[in-house]
Amino acid sequence: MTTFFQLVVIGISTGSVFAIVGMSLVLVYRATGIVNFAQGVFAVLGGLLTYSLSQKMALPLAAVLATLGTAFIATLVALVAVGIRGRTTHLASLIITVGIAIFAEAVLLASFGEVPRSYAAISDRAWNVGGVLVQPQYAALAAVALAAAIGLTLFLRRTIVGQALVASADSPHAAELIGLNLRSIAVIAFALAGALTAIGGVLLAPTVPVAYSSGLTVTINGFAAAVFGGLTSIRLALLGGYALGIVEQLVVGYVDPQYNLIIALVVMLALIGWRSRGELAV
Amino acid sequence: MTLLELDAVTVRYGQAVAVDEVSLAVAPRERVALIGPNGAGKTSVLNAACGVVRPASGRVRIEGQDVTGAPPATVVRKGISQVPEGRHVFSSLPVEANLLLGAYGRVFRLEIVSSTLRYLRSRRDVRVQLERVYDLLPKLRELRERPAGRTSGGEQQMVAIGRALMARPRLLAIDELSLGLAPVVVQQLSEFLLRLNEEEGVAILLVDQSASLAFSLCERAYVLETGRVALEGPSRDLEGRVEVRSAYLGGGLGETA
Repeated sequence: MTTFFQLVVIGISTGSVFAIVGMSLVLVYRATGIVNFAQGVFAVLGGLLTYSLSQKMALPLAAVLATLGTAFIATLVALVAVGIRGRTTHLASLIITVGIAIFAEAVLLASFGEVPRSYAAISDRAWNVGGVLVQPQYAALAAVALAAAIGLTLFLRRTIVGQALVASADSPHAAELIGLNLRSIAVIAFALAGALTAIGGVLLAPTVPVAYSSGLTVTINGFAAAVFGGLTSIRLALLGGYALGIVEQLVVGYVDPQYNLIIALVVMLALIGWRSRGELAV
Repeated sequence: MTLLELDAVTVRYGQAVAVDEVSLAVAPRERVALIGPNGAGKTSVLNAACGVVRPASGRVRIEGQDVTGAPPATVVRKGISQVPEGRHVFSSLPVEANLLLGAYGRVFRLEIVSSTLRYLRSRRDVRVQLERVYDLLPKLRELRERPAGRTSGGEQQMVAIGRALMARPRLLAIDELSLGLAPVVVQQLSEFLLRLNEEEGVAILLVDQSASLAFSLCERAYVLETGRVALEGPSRDLEGRVEVRSAYLGGGLGETA
């Protein structure tokens, strides 16, 4: 039973990363109607930049700079994906982000090398809860995911900027007519989502080393979490991330470690198949 | 001085000419209609006036200032707001958020942080304007918490009009007011627009397929045919003209008013 709970704890921690990426995908989708297939790249970039910068400066500072740097890169991705006038069709934008994801992998390989990177966790001690080890890093990930879910929900529902984001995806035409600038809206959505995903990557790297090629796996897991909420619900993306993380760890622990990505794919396809019979066709 | 002036405006989509040297003017506090059959180019004229499409040639002026090719944001800031065809409410947001975004859009420039600060600084004015819109359209106050997508067609038209009014326009350009709405609802909206015009001094540029509605609400009208102005003049005169009668009134097209 201790093994079971240990796997659940680890599952919640990795699931938090899926949730963070999933919520980032939801944020971008709800503001622009675009599914950003390069989202996972931002987690990798966050982790690898933190590693590189931490060679020259204190780790917390490196982490902050890596997050800001990733948010900046995300704004560039937004400009490429939605076009200078902010009017590229959603399908074209989606394909552009797939291209960016592939391109980014090559750039990451060239800039950071092929070695998976890791660095010191927040603390190397672990709490022992009835035989189950809980690392502070796990707790931090879970806390960030939860805080992000609450923050994003309030942001989209209660603030004028969040509402402007939602409005722009609801009706881009009307959003333009009232004076909003679709390109600025896309940029702010991508930047916020990029920063959030980067934080996920920064916190993940100490427990799971991050390599240039990790982006796709992160994207697929995040997407599976987001699809859990039909790509529009922050809350369900959070729960989806946790659930997916736990299921994956249980399979890794009891069946075979090689299966974890397959599970994400199966869960995602099953959810798409199930949901597309309802109101939402992804 | 004229409030809105289109001077020989031509709009092309690729090779197709949608609007062919159309000239049109709306004075302050005036009510003007733009009528014509489907595909005559009415929406294109409106979109050229509002900065949604860039004219291939000709000029668009607001109070004498050239705004040809300027984006919708500029046109909104200069006092012209459009209520688009099909309403286009922000369906997942509450009615009140729809309205507030109308005010946010007016102060929105390229950069989001300063735009938001500008909006927050003007929040008191925005509240005052919101109350005015609620007084003008009391139904919206009742519906303020409801997602705009879950209101009726007539209510959505009110949301779209209210959202446009939040930008304090001097001219309201309305595309297909009556489309898909029950006659009694159209009647109410038409009376509301008349009051808005007379009491608040907001000029109206109405595009509608229903000539009878356009003539009853507006003092002056332009009749558009395949991208050109075929007729123009006081509604009273046009209404009597045989061509208009046979082309638009007898065609069974939504004789709502």
